[in-house]
Amino acid sequence: MKREGRGDAAREIAPSVVEGWPVESSSSHLFLIDYLSMADTLISPAIERRTNSALWYGLLITCIGIATHFLYFLRPPPTISHLLPWINLLLPAIGLILLFVGLAGAFGRSAVYSGKIWGSGVTAIALLLFAGEIWLFEKTRDVPKSAGAPQVGERLSEFTLSDSSGQPTSLSQLFLASADGSQPKAVLLIFYRGYW
Amino acid sequence: MSATLRRKASLTFTFLSDPNLDVIRRYGLLHAAAGPDGHDISRPAEFLIDRSGIVRWENFTEDVRVRPRAQEMLAVVRAVQ
Repeated sequence: MKREGRGDAAREIAPSVVEGWPVESSSSHLFLIDYLSMADTLISPAIERRTNSALWYGLLITCIGIATHFLYFLRPPPTISHLLPWINLLLPAIGLILLFVGLAGAFGRSAVYSGKIWGSGVTAIALLLFAGEIWLFEKTRDVPKSAGAPQVGERLSEFTLSDSSGQPTSLSQLFLASADGSQPKAVLLIFYRGYW
Repeated sequence: MSATLRRKASLTFTFLSDPNLDVIRRYGLLHAAAGPDGHDISRPAEFLIDRSGIVRWENFTEDVRVRPRAQEMLAVVRAVQ
């Protein structure tokens, strides 16, 4: 029979080795060791422990996700600030997925991967954080569509409201000449929410 | 905002208050029960109006955390003039 690889060679040798146990011949003995070492790591005496990188990356990305909340205060350009709420949500989600992958490794192949205890703790906290992120995302985006609001090109109806000294002020008054004599060409009306 | 507070913050532009939400309601900007005690408040909104009273630019944010920056609005003002 043609030898195609170590596996085939071992399959040929192994039955005779088992039948003829204990093996006297030194060459057969070498084959037996060879056969055992290429088998699953589960039966190998020295198991190679590996770092549970999924758990560590999950923890790192979750922490970065929390940190992205502070980016609002750094006055990012409009394109980034519009993406920020999504980034706030996405990073903790990715972190959580990685943590679950890491936990699956820690529990499923506990001989290889560590982190059963700390990984469970971190994942539980990350899960709560993610729930909080979803709540915040929904809460801050719960702004009415304002379909009835004035549209670009429409004329704004006149109004009169009190200014900070209690003086009634109308929209057309805002276009009157200011103290230095200059006449405003446009008025920027900002409706402030009052509560952040 | 009071006149004192306004001076303290050196804000020179006009502050108008709409305590009964009249204009806010008329302009369709009411955000019902969004205040901390469940009162109605205004949604954030920005309008640029020219001399004839026509709306030239407006902005309605989808997320209260994302508001236009002063620089962004000033750029719009300069573009209109």
